[in-house]
Amino acid sequence: MKERKVNRSFWGNLVISVVLTVVAVFMALPLVYSIMNAFKPLDELFLFPPRLFVRRPTLKNFSDLFYLMGTSFVPFSRYLFNSIFISFFGTLGHVLIASMAAYPLAKHKFPGSKFLFNLVIFSLMFSGYVTNIPRFIIMAKLRLLDSYLSLILPYIGATLGLFLMKQFMEQIPDSYIESARIDGANEFKIWWYVIMPNVKPAWLTLILFSFREIWNDTYTPSLYIHNEALKPFSLGLTYIQQGGFVRAGAGAAAAVLMLIPSIIIFIITQSNVVETMKSAGIKG
Amino acid sequence: MRKKKLRSLSQRQAFVGRLFVYPWLIGFLIFFAYPFIRSIIFAFSELDLTPFGLKLTFIGFKNFIKALQEDPTFIQYLTLEVTNTIVNIPLILMFSLFIAILLNQRFKGRAFIRAIFFLPVVVMSGALLYVLESNTMEQFYIGAQTGMAMSNSPFVRGIDFRMFLIQITGNIPFVRPLIDAINRIYEIIWKSGVQILIFLAGLQSIPSSLYEVASVEGATPWESFWKVTFPLLSPIILVNVVYTVIDSFTDYSNDVLRYILEVAFRRLQHGYSSAIAWLYFLILGTILLLLVIFISKRVFYISE
Repeated sequence: MKERKVNRSFWGNLVISVVLTVVAVFMALPLVYSIMNAFKPLDELFLFPPRLFVRRPTLKNFSDLFYLMGTSFVPFSRYLFNSIFISFFGTLGHVLIASMAAYPLAKHKFPGSKFLFNLVIFSLMFSGYVTNIPRFIIMAKLRLLDSYLSLILPYIGATLGLFLMKQFMEQIPDSYIESARIDGANEFKIWWYVIMPNVKPAWLTLILFSFREIWNDTYTPSLYIHNEALKPFSLGLTYIQQGGFVRAGAGAAAAVLMLIPSIIIFIITQSNVVETMKSAGIKG
Repeated sequence: MRKKKLRSLSQRQAFVGRLFVYPWLIGFLIFFAYPFIRSIIFAFSELDLTPFGLKLTFIGFKNFIKALQEDPTFIQYLTLEVTNTIVNIPLILMFSLFIAILLNQRFKGRAFIRAIFFLPVVVMSGALLYVLESNTMEQFYIGAQTGMAMSNSPFVRGIDFRMFLIQITGNIPFVRPLIDAINRIYEIIWKSGVQILIFLAGLQSIPSSLYEVASVEGATPWESFWKVTFPLLSPIILVNVVYTVIDSFTDYSNDVLRYILEVAFRRLQHGYSSAIAWLYFLILGTILLLLVIFISKRVFYISE
């Protein structure tokens, strides 16, 4: 079932390729559709029934978008910087702190660890939307409103990463940790040099999730940030998209622009995941 | 290090363990646990925003009674959402495991196909989805006005197909969720991006030496799937079940959540909004708990 079975029959290969291609086309369709939309002139955008492919491609949507960007109250580079700053530190905090907490939960079983983990599972299903009002009050009390910290700090207590990392760390054999301990490594070194490299696919995946979530989030910033100069890119673009029919073209172009950083992160982590996979084969 | 050696091993481990957990715990307590407890208090009270701040009046179970007995929309949204999720979970899991195993095989163009499969993971959120939805919706409205019912769009065509299936099966209530699931096959494929990714990461962390041993022992690929891949993947299956449930219950397109937000921010009934949110999550919690208990009994951990 795995890599070893290279001598699969020709027909077996064909079936796999065909199945995957069909599903892949299905999956890529919405993306293709939205990229196509960015190049459609206005009359084609509202064509019914909608066409997937663009007839008369135009760059007018993008020039409209840049015009709108240029006339906005705050320069768009500022929005962009805000977004990059928040996404970078939010992701960093989420991944590092979640994997630190996951290590003892997966491998030490100290008193109360089971309770803590149940708490994590319990909290995972509680959507952030519901605790919005009390959380807003806390932000106000801590005087974090209208600051980058209000968007970064909550990710320190994020539970998705902890859950994911703990599940993956549990797969590491205890003998790895024991031999490191015999060699005189302290817990921090074990975590950093033994555990983390072994769960590289997990934290790369987490980086991708986390970045995507923070980068695309429009809801939280719209609650906590009222200072125009601190608002992220996603919020800036939402204003354009809310412009109605006339701005539909610019909105479609904006959506494509929004995608680019996520795709870059995706490509970076993806190639690393493939790399890890190769080395994972030898590790055994 | 020397000082710590004086203590017993378990004590030392407990100490270090807590030290690793503290930074997360602090964030968790401030930004999750506290708001969480506050929202329980809100659920039992009437909340008024006055110029001097919040005014809480304790009203007992009134909010809950209102949700279950007086509010017709809430129950309707709730049952719809719960049946949808229960039908979707096994479909999404089977589909994503199947695709993850295929993607883990060696074939030409694997890197490219893999990249396509992860695209929804990258794309499927926020701004883009918003544009995609609003565009197709606008197009649909305009089209309906001009009387063009037939559509070539894969996004709109599903509507007729669903009516067709309902007519064939004679509109039996029990079959209805299944038909909806077939109709939403596109949605299922699109929603399983993250699950495929998690499964694939799990598949890659299975030591290949185990497969070598299995094939030396004469196991067929089918056998080694059930004896090696499946047991070793079982913790990941648990992750995916939990993720799928949470994802569908906390999805922003979820009707119940939209209703909760509407009650809170349009009608400004914050207390009532907290109460229905709590009801919703108690039901979701029970479902999730049952699933987790059911699966964790069957999960196999390599360290044991």
